[in-house]
Amino acid sequence: MEMAAPQVLMIVGALLFGIGVIGFLTRRNMIVMFLSTEIMFQGVLTNLVGMGLLRGDLNGQALGIFVLVIAAVEAGLGLAIVVMLYRRRGTLDADGWRTMRG
Amino acid sequence: METLRSTAIWIPLLPLIGSLLVGAIGLRWLKDRSHWLVIGGVALALVAVLSVVSTVVGEAGRAHNVDAVAANEGIELAHTSEHDSKLSESFTIYKWMNMGAGSWLDVSFRVDQLTSVMLLVVVPIGFLIVCYSVGYMRDHHGHPERGYERFFAFLGLFLFSMTVLVLAGNFLVLFVGWELVGLSSFLLIGFYYQKPEAAKAARKAFIVNRVGDFGFALGIWLIYLTFGTLDYQTVFDSVSLAMRFDGDNYAAIVPQLQGLLGTERVPDVTAASALVLQVQDRITWIALLLFCGAMGKSAQLPLHVWLPDAMEGPTPVSALIHAATMVTAGVYLVARCSVIFAASPVAMWFVGSIGAATALFAATIALTQYDMKRILAYSTLSQLGYMFLALGVGAFDSAVFHLYTHAFFKACLFLGAGSVMHAMDGVIDVTKFGGLKKDLPITYRTFLISSLALAGVPLLSAFWSKDEIIHAALAGNMPLLGWIGLLTALLTAFYTFRMVAMAFWGPKMLPAGVEHAHESGRWMTVPLMILAVGAVFAGYVGVHFKSGGFLGFLEPHGTFHHFLEPVFAGAKVVLAAAPIAHEGHALMYWSSAIAFLGITNAWYFYTKRPTIPGAIALASGPIYPLFKNKYYVDEIYDAIFVQPLRKLGRFFFGSDRYGINSLLFVIGNLPRVLGFGLRTGQQGAMQGYALGMILGLVALLWFVLQG
Repeated sequence: MEMAAPQVLMIVGALLFGIGVIGFLTRRNMIVMFLSTEIMFQGVLTNLVGMGLLRGDLNGQALGIFVLVIAAVEAGLGLAIVVMLYRRRGTLDADGWRTMRG
Repeated sequence: METLRSTAIWIPLLPLIGSLLVGAIGLRWLKDRSHWLVIGGVALALVAVLSVVSTVVGEAGRAHNVDAVAANEGIELAHTSEHDSKLSESFTIYKWMNMGAGSWLDVSFRVDQLTSVMLLVVVPIGFLIVCYSVGYMRDHHGHPERGYERFFAFLGLFLFSMTVLVLAGNFLVLFVGWELVGLSSFLLIGFYYQKPEAAKAARKAFIVNRVGDFGFALGIWLIYLTFGTLDYQTVFDSVSLAMRFDGDNYAAIVPQLQGLLGTERVPDVTAASALVLQVQDRITWIALLLFCGAMGKSAQLPLHVWLPDAMEGPTPVSALIHAATMVTAGVYLVARCSVIFAASPVAMWFVGSIGAATALFAATIALTQYDMKRILAYSTLSQLGYMFLALGVGAFDSAVFHLYTHAFFKACLFLGAGSVMHAMDGVIDVTKFGGLKKDLPITYRTFLISSLALAGVPLLSAFWSKDEIIHAALAGNMPLLGWIGLLTALLTAFYTFRMVAMAFWGPKMLPAGVEHAHESGRWMTVPLMILAVGAVFAGYVGVHFKSGGFLGFLEPHGTFHHFLEPVFAGAKVVLAAAPIAHEGHALMYWSSAIAFLGITNAWYFYTKRPTIPGAIALASGPIYPLFKNKYYVDEIYDAIFVQPLRKLGRFFFGSDRYGINSLLFVIGNLPRVLGFGLRTGQQGAMQGYALGMILGLVALLWFVLQG
């Protein structure tokens, strides 16, 4: 079955987002949770590029590359936070931070 | 005038500065030297008073000379009021409140003859009593009592307040002084605040005074409403104007009437007379409301209950505040507002009746008491009653004269009682000691002199002033008041010497625990002696010397009354009373006889035949217990006011506790209950929140795709 590039891209984006959500919800390791959010992020970006193609607008791809750069910075920041959290508790388990129980 | 003004300001300020300094550094640094600052402040104030009074006397003398010249040359006396007004002018110290429409309420003082007399009573006696306190507020070894510096700070505060009260130039400042003396009185009655009775007495004094002051404040408000100003002179002028209005002199009065009525346009005769009638009607209310304040402060029936209890305070306080000065503020108020009172026959009748009733009522209670200070307190009530009696019959000058003589001998009596109390280690019940004549020679002599003066023995101070009052009452339109005055004079002589006999005469007796009585130190005896001299000679400023037979060369109407004449001139015009003929020689004999009758009876009953009083008490049936229990007034008030109020208070306490509190409990707990339900959702795990977000997102998507 032949499919147009935009549709493929949007399906891949949706799959990536779904994988990210499931990963985030099921794992306790903070690095893995962080990776999952990154996967969700890539899914959204792929979606964005697909939408751009659908509209015949190159700005979608331009914005995608731009956001990718920002995401690299954000990833550095996020990993730094994870390192700090690890130093505090000595573990990467997110359950170590379950102190705000009602 | 300018010097008078700048000097007058210092009279209240100096005691205040002394008081504040002692309050600030007394406890830490001055300790038993605290009295020096207050003594210094009051001594300097005394110098200022003397300077002010000498200026006033000089001014008054000049005005009188002008009068005399004018009278000789047959000039109409209309312009002489200008000379008097120089003294009756009030001077503004500070512009206080803008009342709109260009009118201001100021802090203003007024120095005239009446103020001078009051200052001459308050400050010198205050000075003597501050000195006396230096000796009194120490134990036998000369160590100061606890709260020594506090005591002197309060005394300074009181002298500040009292001088503000008498120097006030308008009703607002008067009210400020009035409340300040109330506060100082409260603080000093409750000086021994560890003693429950003292704390209770202080509260009682404060609350009973509130009742009177409520009326007083309403009266001041009504004055402002009627006359648009609170300045003494403007109010008094307006009152005399309103009283002179009769329709015929309309044309002459109308320019001034406009100011009085506050109307812009010129009213016609009917409208003007209607307005004036309304003002005249209000004057009665103003007088009665002002008198409410006077009844509270001067402890007249039915607001007298606080004064005997106020004796819980230290004795110098009783002498200064609750005998010589503060309690006479009511008399001063009525004398100051003589024009207002004279304009209302109802108010005059009321003042006179209350005065006479209190005089007799308090004298009968004094017959049966055993606490020296309480006997003196009831005696003070009775003498204040005399003063109001005099005011009520229009003898304003006699009232002020009696105020002035009374201050000396009553202060001396109180200080004497304090000296006895000091020697008896705080015991003041005359049944517990006796025959102290030899042990306390100076106290005994000064006490005896003042008692003779109080009893009205001829040639001593109260003889002149009391006779004048009785004479004025008998000559006026309420002679019954004069007869009550005579009866009270007899009782006064009797209860005074009953006290002297029980404390000083007869066989020597000391209370348990006191080995020997010893005379007080110099700090205490010197003021006693000075006051005793005053008790003898103070009356002579009110005596007119002239040639004649025995006693005929003395007329009880002298320099003092002449000096005060301008102050009460307005009231005399309003009363339209012919000057009372001061030919009371027959009365002089009668009152002398009454004084001796009372004294000899007391001497006979309590030294020669000590069984007689008991027999009389038994024979009198219910009368003796009635007197002894002060006519059950306290019990009646307790039943009528205190208990119902307490019940009401309990009711409100209950409704607050169970009604309002429960409601607030429900309201306060509502968020808690809600939170209890909601906080279970707060698990702390990030995945939980993320799941919530995603489920929300799914729900939203579903909702959007549905629609």
